[in-house]
This record gives sequence, C-alpha cells and structure tokens, in this order.
Amino acid sequence: MNRAYRILLIDDDPDFSAAVSTYLEANGFTVVRAASGREGVTLAARERPALILLDIIMDERTDGLFTEGALRELPGLADVPILVISSLYDQEADFSVPPDRMWGANTAFVRKPIDPTDLLERIRTLLDVPES
Amino acid sequence: MTGDAVETIIVIDDDYAMRLSCERILSKTGFVVQTFEDGARGLAAVAELRPALVLVDLKMPGLSGMEVIPRIREIDPNAVIVVITGYATIGTAVDAMKAGAYDFLPKPFSPDELRLIVRRGLERRQLELGSRQCEIERELMKRRFVSFVSHQLKTPLVAVHQYLEVLARLGDTPDMWGKAREWISRCLARTDEMHQLIDDWLTLSRIEGGSFGRQRADADLHDTLTHLVESHRPAAAERGITLALDAAPLLPVHADPTCLTVLFDNLIGNAVKYNREGGTVEVVAERSDGEILVTVRDTGVGIPADAVPLLFEEFYRVPREGAAVPGTGLGLPIARRIALELGGTITVESTEGEGTTFRVRLPRRFDEPAPGEEVP
Repeated sequence: MNRAYRILLIDDDPDFSAAVSTYLEANGFTVVRAASGREGVTLAARERPALILLDIIMDERTDGLFTEGALRELPGLADVPILVISSLYDQEADFSVPPDRMWGANTAFVRKPIDPTDLLERIRTLLDVPES
Repeated sequence: MTGDAVETIIVIDDDYAMRLSCERILSKTGFVVQTFEDGARGLAAVAELRPALVLVDLKMPGLSGMEVIPRIREIDPNAVIVVITGYATIGTAVDAMKAGAYDFLPKPFSPDELRLIVRRGLERRQLELGSRQCEIERELMKRRFVSFVSHQLKTPLVAVHQYLEVLARLGDTPDMWGKAREWISRCLARTDEMHQLIDDWLTLSRIEGGSFGRQRADADLHDTLTHLVESHRPAAAERGITLALDAAPLLPVHADPTCLTVLFDNLIGNAVKYNREGGTVEVVAERSDGEILVTVRDTGVGIPADAVPLLFEEFYRVPREGAAVPGTGLGLPIARRIALELGGTITVESTEGEGTTFRVRLPRRFDEPAPGEEVP
C-alpha cells in the first residue's frame, strides 16, 4: 500500500498545498505539509519522507533554492527524490535544467500549476510504486 | 560574439544558486564568467581580471553592494556595473546608479532579462550615459512592475487552477463532497485577491501616471474619517477589537475625496487586520502647526525593526508566523503616494509585539476659520 510512502510538500501557499495533498492522499500517499523552507527542513529530518515537493519562490525569495541544499545535507536524504515546483519556470529553460555538479541526479523540476495525473505518474515512477 | 577578445564578467552574490544561474546563462552566451561570494573577493578579482561587466548583489553580508560599487569604479571606471537585488525600488536603483551602477536587475529575473541587460550594458560601455538617467528610471519602473505584478498575479491563479484540476479528477468521489464546498469558497477568496491586486495596481499606476486624484474639492476630514471608521466597525467587532475615533470638529482640507478615502481606508483597514483579538484601534485627527495630523494607532503584532524601512515598497509584505493574512502588498505604497500627492507626509513607528502607529500630515485649508478662531 502507498501509505508507506510519505511525501513532504513544502509550499507557502496553503491553497496550493491543500489541493495537491488532497489529490495525493486520495491516491494513497501520506502527505506532510510545511509552509516554509525552514519548517520543511525540520519536518524532513523528523518524518523521513520518501519524496519531497519543494516550491522555489516562497515569500518573494528564492527560499527553495537554499532549502534544497539544506535538505540534501540531512542524514539519509541525500538521495531522496526532490521535485522542485515553480510557476517561474514556464519559459525559462535555463533554470529548469540544473547544472549537474550542484543539483543531485535526484532533483527535477515540475511546472506550477501541476497536472495531477502527470505528477502522480512521475511520483510512482520515482518511487517505483505500482498503480493501485 | 564578434571581435578579438572574449569579454569577462564577474558575478558577486552571496546566494550560490544565483551565482550558479548567472554563470550558466552567461557562459552559454559566450562570456568568460567568474563568480565570487563576497565583496572583498569580488573586488580583488576585479582588480586582477579587469572585467567588462560586474554583476553585484546589493544585499550581502560583509561589504554591501552599495560599498562595492564605488570601489569598482575606482579600480576601473570603464567597468559596467549592474546591481542585482530583491525588493527592487526606484530609490535603491537611483542610489546605486548615483554610486556608479549602469543598471539594475530585480530578482527574480529570467535568463533573457539577464542576457538583455548584460548585452545592453556592454553595448553602452563606451557611450556617455549623460541624460539617459531619466529614461533609465522610467524603464526600471516599468520592468519592475511587469515582473512583480505577473508573479503576484500568478500565485492566486495557480491556487485556483490547482483546486479546479483536483476537483475535476476527484469531484465525484464521496470524500470530496464536503471539501468541494470549502474549496469553492477558497477559489472565490483567491479570485477576490486577484481582483484586489489588479485594482490596487491600477490605482498605483494611475497615481504615478497623474490621472488619479486630481479632482480636488473642499472636504472636512472629520466626516471622511467618521464614515470610514463606521465602515470598519463590523470587521473590528468580529474580532472583539475596539475602534475609537477622536476627531476635532472641523478639519478642512482641499483634496480629492477618493484619495482621502483610499488613504485612510488602507491605514484603518491595516490597523484592524494586523491587530490582536480584543485589541484597540485609535484614530486621532487634530490640527497641528497649521497642518492636519491624523494618527492611526493599533495594539497589534507590530513590525520588526528591519522590516520598517521596506513597508512602503511595492509588494513588500512583513513575514508573519501562522495563518496568512490576505493582502496585496500595495496598500501602504498607495497610501504613501497619495499622502505625497496631497502635499503631505506619512510616517510609521512600531514596536514588535506592542503595536504600530501611522501618522499622516496633510496641509490644512486656510480659507475657513476653525471654531473659536478669530476671522482675520
């Protein structure tokens, strides 16, 4: 069962978080929500998520960029898949493909708003979860 | 790139992600890019490498961008300096340009914006700036608005879109029936937010463009404030907030009535919104040194000292713990613009955890004697 898979969603918009977490929960995942980068790092250390969804622009700052680095430094989280989400990256391909040496192989970008079906597909692939 | 030498660009920014992005974008465009995390190292590199252009973050620990700019100019007056910063303001832009920067890049920016500004900077490197200052200021104002407004508008739009996407997929499941109702009301709230943002943005643009608030008329601020305080009473009562008005009987001003309403509506609205449950809002209006002084005092959460200088900047919102308070980040910039437009001033004092006081001074209309005053 997917319930074993805990997903951490870090986003400062409570409505966006509510919509996405409801969808993921309806598809059997457990979702833990954080409203800031700092809270996200604290929760990641405690909850040991299998996957992290991370908003890049929070509070007008590129908070998410720092958060990604901080998350990777936590014990056991170096290889956890992180999906970075942002509405900024619409036509900005240069930002969407991170330089290999800085971003791990396990970080990828997702455009906001998220297509729920695509997201589910990506998460299932990343976590190797069979469709239920 | 044509010409014999490849141009060198130096990036000085404490944000590693920013250094990385700039390096990646600009080296792809064909420049030699070197990045440094602080002013001291950056300056040493400028002296050594003699770059054609330097990108400097204004807000860095250690030597600030503002301190770095004149030192670069000292080392090489021909180096083009472009400053990078969050919270872009015309004030900082002008300060940076006075200190010797050529242009200004507000965060977040797209690769195209970065490339464009660098290309333009290099093209103009040999040219005299002279009378371009004014043109640059206008350009900056336009660019900043477009990028901030689009980001701010996207945020509620994304939230609404996301709710609808999920509702479209899960709407038929019994679990969703209760949620759907709540989500619809959230969607309405977010579209309201978008409306408010567009309205505020238009107001601000119209004040700046000079097409707002030109219908001056004789008015009594006593009446304006009485109406406004009454209009905020229900919202205040809902949270047990006492809203008190102490206005002198006759407060004559010569001003656009819409301007007066928008100005004080913003201040009283904020005083209620950012108050604590059971707090108080005091609005005092009086004559003071030939002016009219309106004080709006709340017993709310207050504003951290480092946030006070940013309060009147467009889209700035004080970071708060807990549930988000709706707002556009444009109310205070609008209030300030209006106060200035009316020939007045607005100031703020705040103690975190205790409350905030706004003071507006407006010129008094002199053709009417105050009660008890001698008619000359």
